[in-house]
Amino acid sequence: MENIPCVELRNVVKRFPSVTAVDHVSLKVEQGKVFSLLGPSGCGKTTALRLVAGLETLDEGDILIDGKVINDVPAHKRECNTVFQTLALFPHMTAEQNVAYGLERRKVPKNEIKRRVGEMFELIQLGGMEKRRPSQLSGGQRQRIALARSLVLKPKILLLDEPLASLDRKLRKEMQVELKELQREVGITFLYVTHDQKVALSISDIIAVMVEGRLEQVGLAKEIYETPRTKFIADFMGATNIFSGKVVAKTNGELQLQTEKGLKVIAAETKDSSKKITGISIHPELIEILPKNTGLKGDNNFKGKIVEMIYQGDFIETKVCLDQTSELVTVHLSSRQDREAQFSPGEEVLVHWSPESSNILLG
Amino acid sequence: MKRFLTTQAYLPYVGPISLWIVLFVISPLGVILYFSFLKVGPVGQIVPTFTLENYLTLFKGAYGIILLRSLLFAFGTNMICLLIGYPLAYWIVRYGGKLKITLLFLVIMPSWTCYLIRLYALKTLAGYTGLINSTLLNLGLISSPLEMLYNPTAVIIGLVYSWLPFMVLPIYASLDGLDPSLLEAAVDLGATPLRRFFTVTLPLTKGGIFAGTILVFIPSLGEWLVPLLLGGAKVMMVGNLVEHHFIKLGNIPMGSSIAAALTAIVLLIMYLSIKVGGEEALERII
Amino acid sequence: MKSWNKTGKILPAVATLVYLFMWAPVFILVLFSFSNNKFGIKWEGFTLKWYAELFNNVAVRNALKMSLTVAIITVVVATIAGTLTAYGLYKYKFRGKRALRTTILLPIVMPYVVTGAALLAFFTRIVHVPLGYPSILIAHISFSVPLAVFVVLGRMARIDWTLEEASADLGADRLTTWRKITVPLLLPAIIASAALIFPWSFDDFTITYFVAGVGSTTLPIYVFSQLRYGATPVINTIGTIFVTLPIIGLLLVSLLQKKEVT
Repeated sequence: MENIPCVELRNVVKRFPSVTAVDHVSLKVEQGKVFSLLGPSGCGKTTALRLVAGLETLDEGDILIDGKVINDVPAHKRECNTVFQTLALFPHMTAEQNVAYGLERRKVPKNEIKRRVGEMFELIQLGGMEKRRPSQLSGGQRQRIALARSLVLKPKILLLDEPLASLDRKLRKEMQVELKELQREVGITFLYVTHDQKVALSISDIIAVMVEGRLEQVGLAKEIYETPRTKFIADFMGATNIFSGKVVAKTNGELQLQTEKGLKVIAAETKDSSKKITGISIHPELIEILPKNTGLKGDNNFKGKIVEMIYQGDFIETKVCLDQTSELVTVHLSSRQDREAQFSPGEEVLVHWSPESSNILLG
Repeated sequence: MKRFLTTQAYLPYVGPISLWIVLFVISPLGVILYFSFLKVGPVGQIVPTFTLENYLTLFKGAYGIILLRSLLFAFGTNMICLLIGYPLAYWIVRYGGKLKITLLFLVIMPSWTCYLIRLYALKTLAGYTGLINSTLLNLGLISSPLEMLYNPTAVIIGLVYSWLPFMVLPIYASLDGLDPSLLEAAVDLGATPLRRFFTVTLPLTKGGIFAGTILVFIPSLGEWLVPLLLGGAKVMMVGNLVEHHFIKLGNIPMGSSIAAALTAIVLLIMYLSIKVGGEEALERII
Repeated sequence: MKSWNKTGKILPAVATLVYLFMWAPVFILVLFSFSNNKFGIKWEGFTLKWYAELFNNVAVRNALKMSLTVAIITVVVATIAGTLTAYGLYKYKFRGKRALRTTILLPIVMPYVVTGAALLAFFTRIVHVPLGYPSILIAHISFSVPLAVFVVLGRMARIDWTLEEASADLGADRLTTWRKITVPLLLPAIIASAALIFPWSFDDFTITYFVAGVGSTTLPIYVFSQLRYGATPVINTIGTIFVTLPIIGLLLVSLLQKKEVT
C-alpha cells in the first residue's frame, strides 16, 4: 500500500504584483514527520505555508491534503491549523477560551470541550493557568497556549510560521526541544517555516531550502547540513569556505578539483554527477589547524599563516591565509585544540581536511 | 454579474455607504448647483430657464459686500484663534504635566454643549440688560448701558468663542507628537529658545496649524447663527443670505447660487490647505 | 534667559483668560437658571421653580422626545454603517477607494447652511422625502457616518489582524469571525464614535432647522423659537441640562476607562 503524503504541493505558483513569491514549487510532506521550509527572508516560505492554510489563493498548481485536492476549500474548512508568528492569541479571551475556540466552532458538545481542553492543558503543563488572559502569561506560556489551541483540534497537519522567532536564545532552545518532544508524542505532521538554520536542524526530519520562490534542495537535515548542493545553501548553512573550481582528474573514488586560483583539492566522489560541478565547500569545524612542521601524508594539506583569531565562546573563529593562493580559510578552532597548541595570530601553520569533508557544489 | 459580486469582497462593506453618499450628499449638492442657474417664478416655483442673474446679484452690490465681509470675518477669526490657540496649546503641552489631558478637555468641553445655548449665554451676558452691563452700572463705572452687541466686533468675538477649541485641538495633537529629542538636538547645536521655536517647533506643527485653519475658517465662513444672534440685521454674513432666501423668501435658485458659491470657496480653501499643509493636516482633522 | 521668564508668565495668564472667556457665559447661564429673576438675567434669590415649570412643559417634553429619538437612531445606524465602511476602507483595495476617502469627508466639511439648504431643495423638489423624522434622520446620519468612519479607522491600524486569520484557521466562517473577534476588538472605537455622534445629533440646530419642516420640533429648535421672546428662564434651564449632561457623560466615560485599565 502506497503511503499517501500528508500534504503535497504540485507545481504551485503564487504571484504578487511585484514578485513571484512561490515559483513552481512541488513537495511532499510525509505523515507524522517534521518538514521544514528553510530560507532567507522574502524567499516565499511563509507564502507557501499560507497557501496550504488557505490564507492566500493559488495562481497555478494544486495543493493536496491526504491525497485530496483542496485548492477551492476555504481556510476555515481546511483540516490544518496554523501557529502564527505573532501567536495571534485572542486578547479578550482567557487561555481556556482561546484553546476551546476551534472546538466551539465545530459544535463539539460542552462537556467534551471541557475534557479535551483539560487534557491539553495537562499536556502542555499549564494546569492552573486556564483563566488567565494572554497578557498575563509569559512568552513561553503564550507559545504553548498557541500550540494547544491548534493541537486540540487534531489537525491533519500543523503549520508553524516561525513561532520561536520572538523568544530569547535560551527560551528558544528550550522550546525547540519541547516542540520536538510534543510532536513525537502527538504524532501530528508538522510543516515548519523558519529562516534560522539552527532551529531547522534541531527539529526537522526533512528540510527544504527555498530561495527566491524556488526549492533549491530537499533532504534529511543531516544531508542539507553536510552536503549542501549550491553555493547559496552552503553559505546559508554556515559552510563558509567556498571555492569555485572545476574537476581536473578522477581517480578511484576521488575527484581532484582545481580552484580558480590554482588550489588543488581532493574530494570524495558524489553519486549525483548529472549536474556540472562548480566548486566545493568545507565546514569550518571540519578543518584542522596543525603546527607548521607536522608531517602529514595524504591530501588537502596547505601551508598558511593565521591572520585573525576571534573568540566566540565555544570556539575561536580563526582565519588562515594560504601561502599558495592568498585565499582565506575559516576554521573553528575548539578551545581544547587551542589550549594544546597555543596558536597565535601571525603564526605559520598547516591546515588540513579529509577528502570526505570536501563538499561538492553543483551548478 | 454574480461572479463579480462574489469576487469583490469589499462591496458589502463600502457599497452601501457609496450609494448613500451619491444619493444624499453628492446629488443634493448637484441639485443646488443646477438650481443656481435657474429662475424663480411668480408663485415660487422654479422656472427651468438658464440664467446667470443669481450669480450676478451675488457678486455685485450689497450681496457682494456681505460675501467679502464673510471672508474677512472668517480670516480674522482664523488669525485670532491661531494667535490665542497656539500659545494655549503650547502651554498645555509644555507646562500641563499630569493635568495635560484635563486642561485640554476643559478647552474642548464647551464645544460639546449645544452651540445655540452657548451663543445665547454669550448674548445675554453682553446684552443691554445683561450681567456685564448691570455689573458695570452697579459699580458706577458707566452711567448708561453699553451697546455691546449688534456690531462687527461682537460677531467676531462670537465666532472666536465658537470655534477656538477647534484650533486648539489639532495644534495640541501636533505639539504633543513632537519628538522632544529634536528640540534637544537644537539646544545641543546652540539654538536659543526663540530660534528653536521658529526653526523647529513651528515648521513641524505646520500640519496642526493647517488642520486648525480648515476647522475654523470654513465653519466661520458659513456661519449664520452668530451673526443672527450677536450681529442682528446689521451684520449679515453669507450664511444668513442662504437662510434668508431658502426659508424666508422661498427663493431656491437665488439661495442655491449663494450656497454653491460658498461651497466652491470652501472646496478651494480645503484644497489649498491640504496642498500646503500636507497629508498631516488631513490626519489631524480626524 | 530673560525671554524664558516672560513666556513663563504670559502663557499662564493667556490660558487663564481663555478659560474664563470660554466658561464664564456658560457658568453664568447655569447660575441664573436657579435665579428668581423673571428673565433669568440677574440674580434674585435661589429657586427651583423654573425647573418645575420645565417638567410641566408639554412642548419641551415633545421636543426632548424627538431629539432623543433622532439621536439614538442616528447613533445606531451611523456606528454600524461607519464601522463597516472603515473596515472596507482599511482592509481592501479597490477602484475608487481614493475617491471614497475624499468624498466621505464632504458632509463634515460643508458648512451647515449648505448641507441644510441642499438637502431641503433635494427633499422638496427632487425626491419628495417627507420633512420631519425622515428628512432629519437622513441629514443626521449623513453627517455622523464620516465621524464614525474616522474614529474606527484610526483604531484599525493598531489591531493585530492575524487574529482574524487565526479565527478562520480555527474554523470560524466570516460572520462568526466578525461577531466574535472583529467587533470585540473594535468595540472601544465604536463606543467612542457613539460618544461623538450622540451629542452632535442631539445638539444640532442649523441642519435640523433647514430640513425639519413645519411641526417637527427638536429641543434646539424649540430653544430657538423661544429666543424670539427674548431671554427667558426656560432657556436657562434647558441650557443647563444641555451643558451638564455631556460633562457628566464625560466623567462617566473617563471613570469607566480607568476601570478598564486596572
